[in-house]
Amino acid sequence: MRPAIVLTRLAQLVPVLLGVSLIVFLIMALTPGDPVEIMLADQPASVEQAAALRADLGLDRPLAERFVLFLSNAVQGDFGVSFFHRRPVAEVLLERLPATIELTLAALLLALVVAIPLGAIAALRPNRLFDRLVTAGSLVGVSLPGFWLGILLLLLFSVHLQILPVAGRSTFACEVPAITSLLTIDSLLQGRLDCFGDAVAHLALPAITLALPVAAVLTRVMRASMLEVLCSDYIAFAEAKGISRGRVIWRHALKNALLPAVTVTALETGSLLGGNMVVETVFGWPGLGRLVVESIFVRNYPLIQAAVLLYALIYVLLNFVADLVYAWLNPRVRL
Amino acid sequence: MFRFLLSIFLTVAATIGIGASAIATDLRIGFTVDALTLDPGNHRNRDNETLLRNMYDGLLTYDSNMRLVPELASSIERVDPLTYRLTLRHGVRFHDGSLMMADDVVFTFRRILERGAIDGLSSPRRDLLGPLEEVVAQDDHIVLFKLREPWPILPAMLPFQEIVSRSFIDRVGNRGIATQANGTGPFRLRHWRRGDALVLERFDGYYGGATDVPPVGPACVDRVIFRIIPESASRVAALLGGSVDIINELPPFAMRRVAEHPRTRVMKVNSTNTLYVALDNSVPPFSDVRVRRAANHALNKPLIIDRVLLGAAEPLNGVLTPAAFSFASDLPEYAFDPAASARLLAQAGYPNGVDVTLDTDGASKEMAEIVATMLTAAGIRTHLSVGEGSTLRSNWAPGGTPTGQMYLSSWGNATLDPSDIMFPTLHAKGRGNRARYRNAEVDALLETASVESDRARRAALYRKAQHLIHADAPWIFLWVPQDIYGVANHVTGFKPSPDSRIHLHDVCISDVVSRE
Repeated sequence: MRPAIVLTRLAQLVPVLLGVSLIVFLIMALTPGDPVEIMLADQPASVEQAAALRADLGLDRPLAERFVLFLSNAVQGDFGVSFFHRRPVAEVLLERLPATIELTLAALLLALVVAIPLGAIAALRPNRLFDRLVTAGSLVGVSLPGFWLGILLLLLFSVHLQILPVAGRSTFACEVPAITSLLTIDSLLQGRLDCFGDAVAHLALPAITLALPVAAVLTRVMRASMLEVLCSDYIAFAEAKGISRGRVIWRHALKNALLPAVTVTALETGSLLGGNMVVETVFGWPGLGRLVVESIFVRNYPLIQAAVLLYALIYVLLNFVADLVYAWLNPRVRL
Repeated sequence: MFRFLLSIFLTVAATIGIGASAIATDLRIGFTVDALTLDPGNHRNRDNETLLRNMYDGLLTYDSNMRLVPELASSIERVDPLTYRLTLRHGVRFHDGSLMMADDVVFTFRRILERGAIDGLSSPRRDLLGPLEEVVAQDDHIVLFKLREPWPILPAMLPFQEIVSRSFIDRVGNRGIATQANGTGPFRLRHWRRGDALVLERFDGYYGGATDVPPVGPACVDRVIFRIIPESASRVAALLGGSVDIINELPPFAMRRVAEHPRTRVMKVNSTNTLYVALDNSVPPFSDVRVRRAANHALNKPLIIDRVLLGAAEPLNGVLTPAAFSFASDLPEYAFDPAASARLLAQAGYPNGVDVTLDTDGASKEMAEIVATMLTAAGIRTHLSVGEGSTLRSNWAPGGTPTGQMYLSSWGNATLDPSDIMFPTLHAKGRGNRARYRNAEVDALLETASVESDRARRAALYRKAQHLIHADAPWIFLWVPQDIYGVANHVTGFKPSPDSRIHLHDVCISDVVSRE
């Protein structure tokens, strides 16, 4: 890949992020609801005192002025102060980001580990019992709502069997100093296998809940893609040359069949970040998704704007990475 | 692959098993929300205060019966209508070992009163101090609170301000105190895992707490862990599964399950919230008092409380809850009487009934459906409009434009003082006057009472106002809901508090149980 192409792609981020910030800003501004009323709720404060608080938060300024101020500060890395946390937004977001990244990566890993072999094996013997089971299973996986599945898993593993924790990221015997802020990695890096097991136990249910629909989609994509590749001329040619079945599948079919899965994985990673919002709430997972949902309900504008920008940035970067992987898997693709 | 996955699963299960054998007098609370900040002077959130109040004490506090008692102060006296003198206890230490002095109290209140005092930000708690002008130290243990105008509820508002250490904030800054804590409370901060948990440990140098709330001394348990579990079903699962010892906001539908479980019980207390349906008094049909009274007669409150809320509420005939100061217990009841509703509607010019819209948020939809059904049966044909809570609150604020003529609503009264609820919701200039209620006589009574220092005269003014409001029926008076907690049987000493605060100083674990 030529450096100029990379730079061009990165430069394209600017209008995307600008557009996203404008849209989010306008949507939030046009949505009824007053953060000051929410903050004061039923506590003592006169109309005048509420107005003073509104002025403190800059909500009395014209819309255009607020947007320009937000942009000019944002380019300097200052996303303002969270109305409710009363701390810099960037600080609040960064506190929660590692938990979301850890959960997303775990769910993604789980989905890939399950979906790619299942989809590939199902395609090798289409319309047999295994294939039908996989197809039916993936349909169920796509159809189950995350909050419902999550609560069912909680009832089974946490209430009845009592082998997995209900909520949170870890127990308190495990206070591992942060290196990467990913508890599983940090506990391994510091040789705390007990804490690694504890972190995995806390991660298990939310990751399974989050991974299931992604695995279901990926399985179907992988199966379809593999079926198409197996019917290609070059596979028939390779088999005619006498190359073993295993080698044909492993070296020639699987690698090419992975191409659509890469695209879907990139897109689904974006949806994993969004899906986190529900799963994080059910499992009390201290991530970004839950924070954003809570912020939307209370009209915490600065935090919502910064979080959506962050989501957009991650989403665009993921697609960029998918393009790179594409080129690596298939040298005919030129970026 | 299957064996590999199985081995991982068994490793995980074994790890948890090892964790289960840990011994500690840990008290684990399944709590709905995380702290927003640990700075007691820079937030405006009740749940935040509940969390902080176990680390920070105030000058005064409420006991579990909402009796106002001295805490860091040993006494309070009114010097004149504009001045209060508080004497501080001797020998009270902050968690860092430094002594609490009058200078810390002055600093605490200056930080809240002065605009821009928190790195350019003004404290959102300013309004909780009414006309308080300044706090000055007379000596190391005496402080004077000076008011711009008489404000008899100053003592009632002091429990909502926690005392911070001046030297600590000088050291860590305003940014530092947002994530670190150094209070005078029974527990000190051990660790704050954002969004996940707040871990506190007993402060052995604790002065003992309010002498009027025995037992006095250090806290009973070694550690307190507030585990943040926002989802109700997950919170109940955590309690039943033994992962936590107390949960707040137990939903009524789960009460029976918790009560019948061999290891758990349900504890309830009347909250300080008044639940009501605001009727828009400024537009027909509710501009006519007869229609408002008809609406009050249309609801079968005992039936709703018994069957839907499973007894977790107490019916109200007026604005105030029974525990509030000057509660008028002699208010007549708007009894369930559909015939009276029909008669009043006919007198108001609606012999064939009337069509109205009830606004409600999603969380209250089921209750709103029940209310709407009963109103419709009595001739007030009620259409339900379900909106988002923040939007509705904004629409129903003064100057807003509500879509409906009714709003299922509530207002808290954490001090249990009438001024905390009657002025904001029923005075013509009240910030929460959702009913657009106007009664000059009521306004005058509320204004006079808010500066009246004599308790008996003040109570009489509020009682008179309650009677006038009852007759005007600006709302459908509903009930005071109960705060419901699920509590493990091995927890002792826990007393739910009407102000929803969770005091953990006196709570003990009767046997060694912990999975943390």
